[in-house]
Amino acid sequence: MKPVWKRLYDWVDERVELGGLVEFLGKKYVPVHRHSIWYYFGGVSLFLFIIQVTTGILLLLYYKSGEELAFESVQFITSKVQFGWLIRSVHSWAANLFILAAFIHMFSVYFTRAYRKPREITWITGMLMFFLGLFFGFSGYLLPWNELAFFATKVGTDIAGAIPIIGKPVMIFLRGGEDVTGATLSRMFGFHIAILPGIFSVCLGIHLLLVQRQGMSEPEESGKDMKTMPFFPNFLLRDLLLWLLVMNVLAILAVIFPWELGHKADAFASAPAGIKPEWYFLFMFQMLKYIPAKILSIDGEVLGILVFSAAGLLWTLVPFWDRETKRGTRGRFLTYVGIAAVVCIISLTIVGWLS
Amino acid sequence: MTSEVGPTGPKENRRDFLKYFLGGGVVAWLGAVLYPILAFLIPPKQGEVEVTSVKAGKLGEIEKESGTIVRFGNKPVILIRNSSGECVAFSATCTHLDCTVQYRKDLGVIWCACHNGRYDLKGQNISGPPPRPLDEYRVIIQGEDVLISKKV
Amino acid sequence: MAVVRHRFLHFVLWVIVTSVSSLASLALAQDQCRTCHEGLGDTPSALFKKDIHAEMGLSCADCHGGNPKTEDMEEAMNKAAGYIGVPKGDGISEVCAKCHSSASIMVKKFNSVLPRNQAELLSASVHGKLSTTGREAIVPCTKCHGAHGIVTKTNPASPVNALNLPKTCAKCHSAAGYMRTYNPALPIDQLDKYRTSVHGKRNASGDIKAAECANCHGSHGILSAKDVRSSVYPTNIPATCAACHSNAEYMRGYGIPSDQLEKFTKSVHGISLLEKKDLGAPACNDCHGNHGATPPGVESISKVCGTCHALNADLFSKSPHKKAFDQRKLPECESCHGHHDILVATDELLGVSANAVCSWCHGKKPESKAYLAAKRMREAIDSLGNSERAATMLVQEAERMGTEIGEAKFKLREVRQARLESRTMVHSFDDEQLQEVVEKGFKSAAAISDGARLAMEDYHFRRRGLGVATLIITVLAVSLYIYIRRLERKQAKS
Repeated sequence: MKPVWKRLYDWVDERVELGGLVEFLGKKYVPVHRHSIWYYFGGVSLFLFIIQVTTGILLLLYYKSGEELAFESVQFITSKVQFGWLIRSVHSWAANLFILAAFIHMFSVYFTRAYRKPREITWITGMLMFFLGLFFGFSGYLLPWNELAFFATKVGTDIAGAIPIIGKPVMIFLRGGEDVTGATLSRMFGFHIAILPGIFSVCLGIHLLLVQRQGMSEPEESGKDMKTMPFFPNFLLRDLLLWLLVMNVLAILAVIFPWELGHKADAFASAPAGIKPEWYFLFMFQMLKYIPAKILSIDGEVLGILVFSAAGLLWTLVPFWDRETKRGTRGRFLTYVGIAAVVCIISLTIVGWLS
Repeated sequence: MTSEVGPTGPKENRRDFLKYFLGGGVVAWLGAVLYPILAFLIPPKQGEVEVTSVKAGKLGEIEKESGTIVRFGNKPVILIRNSSGECVAFSATCTHLDCTVQYRKDLGVIWCACHNGRYDLKGQNISGPPPRPLDEYRVIIQGEDVLISKKV
Repeated sequence: MAVVRHRFLHFVLWVIVTSVSSLASLALAQDQCRTCHEGLGDTPSALFKKDIHAEMGLSCADCHGGNPKTEDMEEAMNKAAGYIGVPKGDGISEVCAKCHSSASIMVKKFNSVLPRNQAELLSASVHGKLSTTGREAIVPCTKCHGAHGIVTKTNPASPVNALNLPKTCAKCHSAAGYMRTYNPALPIDQLDKYRTSVHGKRNASGDIKAAECANCHGSHGILSAKDVRSSVYPTNIPATCAACHSNAEYMRGYGIPSDQLEKFTKSVHGISLLEKKDLGAPACNDCHGNHGATPPGVESISKVCGTCHALNADLFSKSPHKKAFDQRKLPECESCHGHHDILVATDELLGVSANAVCSWCHGKKPESKAYLAAKRMREAIDSLGNSERAATMLVQEAERMGTEIGEAKFKLREVRQARLESRTMVHSFDDEQLQEVVEKGFKSAAAISDGARLAMEDYHFRRRGLGVATLIITVLAVSLYIYIRRLERKQAKS
């Protein structure tokens, strides 16, 4: 008598022919080298995303959008619903860890030039998911409708409004009107729970499919006799191990440092001192502060936003203009650019955090 | 530990031990994850964020010419049944300094013990320090049940 | 030389006097209206002789129309030529306004300093509303000023002279039948009350500085007391009274202070009324009376304050203090709380400490019954306040931890209520009664603390839960780690 799980496998196999898939997975190998550690951050991002989806759906059962109820319903979740405090805290913490993991994943791919042919599409979908993740954070931040979120959203959409020509319509689109109101809340709620997850899932599907299909990218300098490890089960088990550790960290953070709810937003109150965006926007926010008000009769803020947009676009399109890697030479230029970006982001974030 | 293992060798034994740990660990982990989630799914006592209506009791149990304090979310509401049997409800928070008001059958008014504020049975402030009338609530009688809800 | 100049001056004076008097007699001779009517001996023309308008050289025709230059009656009172006879209805005030609202006539011709907006104010006032006939305003100018024989306000004969005005207003305002047709709810005893007031008594004895009707209500532009623009609208009353009472110069000689408004503005009543615009708060008249304005007598203070602070007054009247205060002629509430400058009563007032009011009388004998009672009462109130604070903090802490605390939070109201009741109960000056109320508060506070502690158990449950979960995850992770190592060792061998 075969064990139950084996019989179940057979039952499914007869119908959908799992054999090919298993064979594919069995032949899949992950290169082992001194940069292998970075391979895990994609998995960590994925794990955190799964947590976000799960806790997000749970929160949706009690959350009520709308000016009068949003704050109260979050308060209700954290005080009245069993483990509501935990689910909300996990959702908030995992969001931040997700952005962090995505940052690390993105830079590791950049520095190892893993975006090069044939993985341009993987890079593009990854970048798209990164921007979606930031937008997830931005829209989710407003949903508890507390004071900090209200003013951070006001400032954030104001910055978007400073872009020449398209700025104003973009701002009105984001706010659902001229000002941050209940309409903005409904809109952000819509983005956060329907539009963004929809687009994100498509990108994620393509991204994962390509990763599996094309396998892990090998470093440029690797020779033919690269050490490898089977994806299944070795790499997968290591992935799982790391996920468990991340989960542990997440649980500790969520319980010991529960996410504060603050005070309910009041559109007519004066902005509290020291309004800051979420930490992952802090470097841009800080940078905008340093740019002089006028540069050659162009508004400093506008210029800053344009520079950021251009940089983001160039970064996203790096597989297409990176000549060095295409020629097969290990160029230094892009590495310096990357290091400059990392140093810049980290130092500005720290300065922004402390100021 | 190795001294205790049998002839099958320490490795096999340890392997089994590990299997139990892994299996048990996965089960315990599932429990640790699913327990909060399932508990979260159980609707809390107060079903909704904002209390919109509460049941104040059975009509038969409320005497004529009486006033009872009913908890409405975090606020008290006074339900008054007058001599002709009609029910009215008002916020029981005195508009002067937030004390809880009561029905005084002998005076025929709603009365605040703190500073002798008085309201008539329509909730209008008629004497003493209260600056405003009491807020009115809606009383709905469904069969035998008396429900109090916010005025829309 | 000096004599010559003297003579010359005499001559000039003579020329001026004769020419002016001859001009005047010429004008008089020309006013045929008065010539005839005075001959007839009718009252209007007789009264008009003393009228200020006559002194200013106005003729009958200036109000009544017609031609005063002709002796022919037909011609003089020809309606076609502009004769209007006795003005009727709104026509009366219009005739007055023709000159009194016109700068060119009043200033240029008569060099007058009278305000020229009187007609305008009158028609916007309560008196300018339509009368019961629906054809004219209720009060025309003549109702108060008379028609013929009008003299200046300062003339004791004027009906609007300070000493006569109360009677003039009362002509209508004390006429029950008449007032009922306009405002049945309005009292008609203002004059009677006024005569009992300090203002009214002084007015009756000829003091024109004492306030009469117009000083508070205005004259031409009188508005209903319910009109927010009215000088006697509750929030405007303090300023209206202060117009005289805060004027130290004006009040000199009356022997009363002039800082009442200043004190009142800072008082709990003044802040409520003037800053918070709470119309329930008393203005000057709520304690002093309005038409019968007089400082309340020593023994009636608790009744006056008791119109709002009923429970406190009741308790006080039943307390042993009532008799003691009356015997010593001490003003009741005022002795402890002050009057114009009443501040929010703090717990500091109670007890035997330096700034407690009890110690003013009872502070000297530390072993006396009263001293000990005051001390105990203060302690009771203080400790109730402390347990309320403690309970509130517990609830807040439990709430911050995100635990369910609704029931305890609801009960917090009871403690607050007991504290407020106990502050009122102090006025019984009975230690035992106070303890009863305070005890009620303690019980609720204890229940809250229990509830909050129970809720905080939940917090510790979380920490324990986390401990268990972390342990499980760690064990699983370690086992997985060992498993991977084992697996890879096996793979390496094969």
